[in-house]
Amino acid sequence: MKRHPVGLVVLVCASMLYTGAVLAQVDLSGTWALASDTIDAGTGRVADDFAGIPLNAQGRAAGLAWTADEQQELHRQCEPWGPDYIITGLWGGRFTAVRDRFGTVHGWNVTISVYDRLPMVIWTDGREPPSPEALHTYSGFTSGKWQGDTLVTLTTHLKDDFLERNGTPSSNQETFEMFMSPHGDQMAITGVVRDPVYLASPWVIAGTLARRVDTGGAVNNSVLYCMPAELQAVSDGYHAGGELPNQIKTLEMYQTERYNIPLDAALGGPATQYPEFRQHMLQEGYKPPTTYCKIVCCDFTSRVCRNPQ
Amino acid sequence: MKRQAKRGIAQRLGRGALAGVLLFGCPALWAQQGAPGNPGAAAAPPSAQDQAPYDPTGYWVSLITQNWRFRMVAKGPGDYIGAPINAQAKKLADAWTQAQAQAAARDCEAYGGAIIMWLPEHLHISWQDANDLRVQTDAGMQTRVLHFVSAPEGTRAAAAAPRDIQPSRQGYSLARWVLAAGSQRGGRGAGAGAGMPRYGSLEVTTDHMLPGLLAKNGIPYDGNTKKTEWWDLRKDSSGEQWLSISTTVVDPEYLTRPYIYDPVFQKEDDGAKWDPSPCSPL
Repeated sequence: MKRHPVGLVVLVCASMLYTGAVLAQVDLSGTWALASDTIDAGTGRVADDFAGIPLNAQGRAAGLAWTADEQQELHRQCEPWGPDYIITGLWGGRFTAVRDRFGTVHGWNVTISVYDRLPMVIWTDGREPPSPEALHTYSGFTSGKWQGDTLVTLTTHLKDDFLERNGTPSSNQETFEMFMSPHGDQMAITGVVRDPVYLASPWVIAGTLARRVDTGGAVNNSVLYCMPAELQAVSDGYHAGGELPNQIKTLEMYQTERYNIPLDAALGGPATQYPEFRQHMLQEGYKPPTTYCKIVCCDFTSRVCRNPQ
Repeated sequence: MKRQAKRGIAQRLGRGALAGVLLFGCPALWAQQGAPGNPGAAAAPPSAQDQAPYDPTGYWVSLITQNWRFRMVAKGPGDYIGAPINAQAKKLADAWTQAQAQAAARDCEAYGGAIIMWLPEHLHISWQDANDLRVQTDAGMQTRVLHFVSAPEGTRAAAAAPRDIQPSRQGYSLARWVLAAGSQRGGRGAGAGAGMPRYGSLEVTTDHMLPGLLAKNGIPYDGNTKKTEWWDLRKDSSGEQWLSISTTVVDPEYLTRPYIYDPVFQKEDDGAKWDPSPCSPL
C-alpha cells in the first residue's frame, strides 16, 4: 500500500501550526560555569549570617542551631545540595539533551563536575509530576516549559536540605522555580525559592552562567564521588544542631569586630532584603569599620589582592 | 498514464499545501510580511515602545538577597571582596579616604553607570518618547536614558551611537529588543502575531561614563569602562513580576576580568515608597 503524499503534508501542516513553540526551543547543550562575582557563592556566608534571606521564625531558629560540625557527622558527609545550588554554588552545570530514538528532545540533563549537587533532569515534554506522596530526593522532580527563548522550570519533591553553606535551612516542602535565558555565550538565571516551612516570602536570587570550552577544574565533569562515607538515609523533618539559639557569640564577634553590621540585619527576614532596611540601619547609626580589613578581604580568585595577616 | 497524472496532481497539491503551511503556519514568517489585508502598504518602522515584548515601565524595588554586605552598606578600608580588581585598583583604593571624597563633594562617584543598578534603590521607568526609555533611581537621584536603535540581529547596537558624546555619570546607553522567534510584529496590535504571547529581552550597552567607584570604599573604575546588560522580565503563575538584569562590566584599566553581577527588581503597585535621596557616603 502506497502512502499518499497529501497525508504527509497534512501531518506537516499539523506540526507546523506549532512552529512558534518549536522555534522557541533553544539548544542549551554545553558546559556552563558560574560567571557572577558573588561573595555568597565564593567565600560563602559565615555561620548565622542570614541577611537578605526572608527566613521566618522557624527558619531562623533552625539556622541559628546549625553548626559547621554538623557536616562532619558520618551520615551527612555526602549530603548533596539541592537544585538551587546552580545559582548559590560555584559550579554551574553541563547541559545535555535527553532525546528519544527519533531525536525528539524530552528534557535537559544537568550534571555537575563535582560531588556537590546531584544530576537533575528538566523534563520539557509535559509529563505530570509524581504524586505528592512520591519519594522526595535531593534532586527532586523538575518540569520545564519554553516561554520564547526562556526555559521556565519548577522543581518539587525535594528533601530537607540547605539553601546556603551556612546552615540556612530548606524543607521538603520547598519549591524552586527557575527562569533560564541564554544570551549568546552567557545564560541569565533567576531563581525563586518558596518554602512554607522556613521562609516568610519568596527568596529571589539570580546569577549568570558562561559557556566554557576549557577543561578547568570547575567544568571538566570528571565526577568526584563522595569518598568519606556513603550517603545514608537522612529523615526529613529535622534540622537539629548542637547550638542553642541564644549562643550566637560568634556572629556578634563577626558583625561587630569586622563589619559593624547590626545583629538584626544578620538574623534575616523579609525586611532585610529591601532598601528601606538600609535607611533603618543608617538611622540606628551604622558606620563602616575604620580599621583596615584583615580577614577575607579580597575575591578568592584574586591574584593581586591577598588577605593581609 | 491516468495513475501517473493522479500522482502528479497529488504531488503538486502536496507541494502547494506545504508551501501554504510554510507561509501561513509560521508566525515568524508572518511577522515579516506587514499587516495582513494591506500587503502593499509600506508600514512605518515600529517604535521601540511598539515592539516591546513586555512592559518595563512603572516602579520597581531592588531585592538585596545576595552579596548583602557588598551592596547594602559602605565597607571599611581594604575590604575589596566581590570585585575582581587588579593591583593598580588596589593601590588607588588603599589611598582613597572618605573624608577626602566628601571634602571634594564626590559622593556621587559611587552612583555611576557601572554600578548604579546594583545599589539598594527604587526605580521609576517610563517612556521619555517612543524610542527612549528613562530609568530614574531614588538612591542618588540618578537618571539613565536608554536610546533604542534598530540594529540588525547579530550586530552590536553600539555601532549606531552618535560620535560626539560627552562623558557623563551614567554614560550613553544604546538599547534594542531581542525578540524570540515568532514574537516580531509591525506595531502594537498589528500583524498575525497579535494576541499571541510575545517574548524577548532587552540588551543595553553603556559607555562614555565618567570615572567612578564600584564601591563606597574607593574601588575605582575607569572612564573607558563598558557595560552590557540583559534585562529579562520574570513573571510567575501567581502574577508576581521581577526584572532580572544580567550585567557585565569590562574595565581593562582596573579589573582583571569582566565584573558580572545580577540585580533583581520586584514590581511595585505604585510609587508610594519612592524616596529620592542624595548620594550618600554610607
